[in-house]
Amino acid sequence: MKIAVAYKWAPNPQDAAVGADGSVDWSRAKPAVSEYDPVAVEVGRRLADATGAELVGLSVGGPDVASPMAKKAALSRGLDSAVVVADDALAGAGTTPTGRALAALVQRLGDVDLVLTGDSSVDAGAQMVPAVLAGALGWPALTDVVAVSGTAGDLTVERAHAGGSQVLHVTGPVVLAVAADAVVPRVPGMKDILSAGKKPTEEVPLADLAGWQTAPVEVVATAGPELKVRKGQVIDGADPAAAVTALVAALRADGVL
Amino acid sequence: MSSTYILVAGDARISALVAAAPGATTAVVVGTRAVADAVATSGVGSVVWLGEPGDAPLEAFAGPVADLVAAAAPDVVLASTRPADRVLAGAVAARLGAPVHTMASKVEVHDGAAEVTRAVFGGIARQTLRTAGPVVVVVDGGTLGEGGSAPVEEVAAAPAPTVRVVETRAAERTQVDLGRAQRIVAVGRGLKAQEDVAVVEGLAAVLGAETACSRPLAEGVGWFTKDRYVGVTGQHVQPDLYVALGISGQLQHTVGARAAGTVVAVNTDASCPYFAEADYCVVGDLYAIAGALTDALR
Ligand SMILES: Cc1cc2nc3c(=O)[nH]c(=O)nc-3n(C[C@H](O)[C@H](O)[C@H](O)COP(=O)(O)OP(=O)(O)OC[C@H]3O[C@@H](n4cnc5c(N)ncnc54)[C@H](O)[C@@H]3O)c2cc1C
Repeated sequence: MKIAVAYKWAPNPQDAAVGADGSVDWSRAKPAVSEYDPVAVEVGRRLADATGAELVGLSVGGPDVASPMAKKAALSRGLDSAVVVADDALAGAGTTPTGRALAALVQRLGDVDLVLTGDSSVDAGAQMVPAVLAGALGWPALTDVVAVSGTAGDLTVERAHAGGSQVLHVTGPVVLAVAADAVVPRVPGMKDILSAGKKPTEEVPLADLAGWQTAPVEVVATAGPELKVRKGQVIDGADPAAAVTALVAALRADGVL
Repeated sequence: MSSTYILVAGDARISALVAAAPGATTAVVVGTRAVADAVATSGVGSVVWLGEPGDAPLEAFAGPVADLVAAAAPDVVLASTRPADRVLAGAVAARLGAPVHTMASKVEVHDGAAEVTRAVFGGIARQTLRTAGPVVVVVDGGTLGEGGSAPVEEVAAAPAPTVRVVETRAAERTQVDLGRAQRIVAVGRGLKAQEDVAVVEGLAAVLGAETACSRPLAEGVGWFTKDRYVGVTGQHVQPDLYVALGISGQLQHTVGARAAGTVVAVNTDASCPYFAEADYCVVGDLYAIAGALTDALR
């Protein structure tokens, strides 16, 4: 029995350079395992250890997804193995082709009844891939999952819900998007990083996956971000009372207070 | 004429979706009859209600919703960013092979092609994207709309039988709607201890403001409820005044408050990124500044 964890190898847009015309230069933004995905790996690790399942990492994206650095970074988080699709056609792919390609990979892997994902990716932050992935598989999806126990086919899932929480019983295959604070993921040590290099990895050619494509999306215009012009007035707070006097006067003059 | 399907999971607050929808609108409602009735008076053209959910979570209706929308073949599908709504939207996108757009500001249909203007990569740039076919757009739902009385057609659907709600625990703290707040005092990891939340609440009280926070203060430590964090995956707010105390100004946070009228950032670090997006950049200790500001306004 296998538990799959979908992870993304992605850069933080905070580190990208954006031109006035909206062009994005990623050259200084270094990709990494997307911030919240190690939480999903950790949840999967604990469940796999409790049930004797194999924990398989799945990732689809551009060629760098198959780089030794990317595979090691993912495997050192606690995966048993990794299966990736690394193809130019999937570099920067949108939610739907990404979710569909992951679904095709899950089907190809076989013997999987539980797919875990993180809450959202650092570069897109759309929180949509788990839903598309589940839809493509015809499985239900649940998000904001804080705890999972049991075995696939008989899972107890707890999730954050409307400010409170909800406990669900799942008797079939399911995609679970794990809340960012579900568990604290381990920090990989030297041993994890060294053993990651010896774990099995497989690179699946994109041609082996069927039905991942979607209608082409054409970029007809780009622009910089929608930013209001801000005053950027610096107020020295070393003397808090004086700083507050200046701030209150400025806010009154602006008509805000 | 173009047509839009609006997906609703258990929450009738869809005014922003109705406002953004091109062409004739049909709402597909998963949830109780009361939700379907509230949606019917929010300005949509018609409502399809999938029947009482019983102990099925609303996500269990994703398959039937996808079937229904695929059969209708609309130009645009809209859904809110609330969790169960996203699951419905994802299933529809997977079925239609349609792209999903989030952070969208404009949705149009020209000659059967959908054109969406949206922020990309968490808000660092904008793009207008054209697709010759349906698109799925997921944005803030808005508030409870008012208008019309659309007919509600019941099309009872069978939810996925493999997932059931066993227990629901209600929220311990009251929920807020930060989207409507006129003033907000938000705090980040510059806050050192949970008891110091009182400092933030004190300032908010004299300002008549709501309190909010960055994501790390609502997760893990749980000093604030999750509906109080602002940002790309949190609340998108538009107050007249946004005071950010001890928040570094990472893109994922600031993008949620960019519509604010005036932004005051207080940070000990004069080079923090928030100062590039603030009107008043107070270089100083949040405790000292918040305290002095509270005294000055009392
Ligand atoms: C996919 C994804 C989605 C995310 N979504 C969101 C989101 O929606 N919202 C969100 O907020 N974050 C989000 N994040 C997290 C985000 O990237 C940042 O990590 C987070 O916003 C940082 O919070 P912070 O500014 O409070 O903390 P920090 O970045 O640690 O900043 C703390 C700041 O406090 C200042 N400080 C310290 N002490 C004092 C003092 N005494 N007085 C004044 N200043 C002080 C420091 O100089 C520093 O600038 C997301 C991340 C990811 C990967």
